[in-house]
Amino acid sequence: MITWKLVAEQILNGLVLGCMYASVASGLTLIWGTMKMINFAHGEFYMLGGYVMYFAIASFGIPSLFSIFLAVMIVFGLGVLIEKVCLHPLLDKPGWDISAFVATLGVGIFFQNFALRVWGERFKSVPYFLEGTLEVLGFRMAYQRMFIFAVTAAVMVGFWIYLKKARFGLGLRATAQDRDAATILGINAKKIYTITFGMSCAMASLAAVLLAPIFLINPWMGSVPLIKGFITVVLGGLGSFGGAILGGILLGIIESISVIIFSSEWKDVVAFIILILVLWLRPSGLFGTKEW
Amino acid sequence: MRGKRETLVGFGQELRLRSDHAFGIAVILLAIFPVLVQDPYFLHIMIIALVFSVLATSWNLIVGYIGIFSFGHHAFFGIGGYVSALLAMKAGVSPWFGLIIGGLVAAFLSFVIGLPCLRLRAAPYIAIATLAFAEISRMTCLNLVKLTRGEMGLWGIPHFPHITLPGIGIISFAGGVRIPYYYLILIIFIITMVVFHFGLNSHVGLAFRSIRDSQDASESLGINITYYKLLAFITGGFFAGVAGGFYAHYLLIMTPTSVLSIAIMVDIVVVTLLGGLSTFMGPVLGAFLVVLGLEFLRVLEEYRFIAYGILLVVIILFVPSGIGVKVFREKQLLE
Repeated sequence: MITWKLVAEQILNGLVLGCMYASVASGLTLIWGTMKMINFAHGEFYMLGGYVMYFAIASFGIPSLFSIFLAVMIVFGLGVLIEKVCLHPLLDKPGWDISAFVATLGVGIFFQNFALRVWGERFKSVPYFLEGTLEVLGFRMAYQRMFIFAVTAAVMVGFWIYLKKARFGLGLRATAQDRDAATILGINAKKIYTITFGMSCAMASLAAVLLAPIFLINPWMGSVPLIKGFITVVLGGLGSFGGAILGGILLGIIESISVIIFSSEWKDVVAFIILILVLWLRPSGLFGTKEW
Repeated sequence: MRGKRETLVGFGQELRLRSDHAFGIAVILLAIFPVLVQDPYFLHIMIIALVFSVLATSWNLIVGYIGIFSFGHHAFFGIGGYVSALLAMKAGVSPWFGLIIGGLVAAFLSFVIGLPCLRLRAAPYIAIATLAFAEISRMTCLNLVKLTRGEMGLWGIPHFPHITLPGIGIISFAGGVRIPYYYLILIIFIITMVVFHFGLNSHVGLAFRSIRDSQDASESLGINITYYKLLAFITGGFFAGVAGGFYAHYLLIMTPTSVLSIAIMVDIVVVTLLGGLSTFMGPVLGAFLVVLGLEFLRVLEEYRFIAYGILLVVIILFVPSGIGVKVFREKQLLE
């Protein structure tokens, strides 16, 4: 029985899921927009965020909220390090788009197998940050999910303003538009690249730590968000930050509602067919960018 | 900084092996290999390397020569395998015909997914569209449990029936023999490479490369972009499908994960890019390096893939355009 209440609850669930997709996708779109490369290790940075959080709580007993912050910062640092070591030397050499892609593939294979060998294949769980549910007008929402929604929304809005107003954000957008012109005007494009890569990894990590109590932590946890993140990016229009957020939320809601309509094993097939049709009919993505 | 590499590419050109000569030498060496080594394990590795050579070469056609960044090539491999295997099991079609039919079905589906890709230009969009197609094929194979047995795997796939060759006698593929399979995949490999060589050195190859270098310029010169792009998809899909059919009748067991997972695609990408994209022999060299290299890394036991990841990054850092570029010299079209 499809009731309006069920649909409304699924939409709310979809919003939470959409926040995760938006968070993962905004990192991907940020990297594509500035560095013009595909980061195939993005899902692994997501996974690493989850593990850092788990060890912070389980091994060191650090409080949840602080370990979220810790996980985001550590993965940021790791992203900066990987960019410096594995991607920086490839800059400005022919075949950048492909060599950078293979380098991230290698990084991804390394981290995934590292996690598998060193931390084991057993699924790990972290406790909920907030217990209890809120009931308003007959809707039930867990505090946990509301917390996820609030934090991601705040970070996204904050980041948006940062990109539009702050000096670094201006530099980042200038580099994305025209790297040579930005360099002439005194912007250190390479430094922008390094920090952008770190930020994008931090975004992935944020999505992972917020969702860690709901989805368990394991070495393969990054592959689904990676594919969903790419779909989101393409739906929203590549290189567009706003498109990634809207696309993420849209995808989250579509998925949650399609669970009611289609049987769960065919739900992804339907989603992928819709994706191909969208690309066919509107190659620039739903919200349109100049490039496709 | 920016122009430095390009000028260095010309350096030492004369010392490198011309790629079509290299192909001739490779075929001779591969043909006498089973005379020297009969170890079934070694032959198995060589067979897998040849399967990946065919796969990577067919992907190289689409990505390296016409410049469409397909990321769903493993779908055609899996579809070719499943079609051929299911035809042999459910309809009693001979695997020899199944090999061709599997290739044709893969070519047709490659044409279908080629259509939406015609309108897309940026690599990530095409990658996602093709990957979505591959995921649809994987999930369909996974969900049609009655037909494919899903993740439990399709087992009991018949092997190739024996054939009689004049002068050699009856060749049997039964009972886990390796050498007939080795020669069969070698023949498939040679056919693929010869078609590839003659195609790319004709006006078709020129059209492909001009589309890769500038789609707008080629269109303005009257090149039918739709025709050539779909031609690349169909040819690439066909050879990947044939390779899949061979793989199915060689291993005799298949699961959606073993032939349709994204890991196969990652392998194809690594093999091709390590060997050298847009080069004739690069992907073949890459296939042998990766498949044999992964076997040598077995001494590291469970740390094998950690080392693999590190090696991949190190190799790409030092040779960003692939190892093949350092070893082979491309035959110049307008020589």
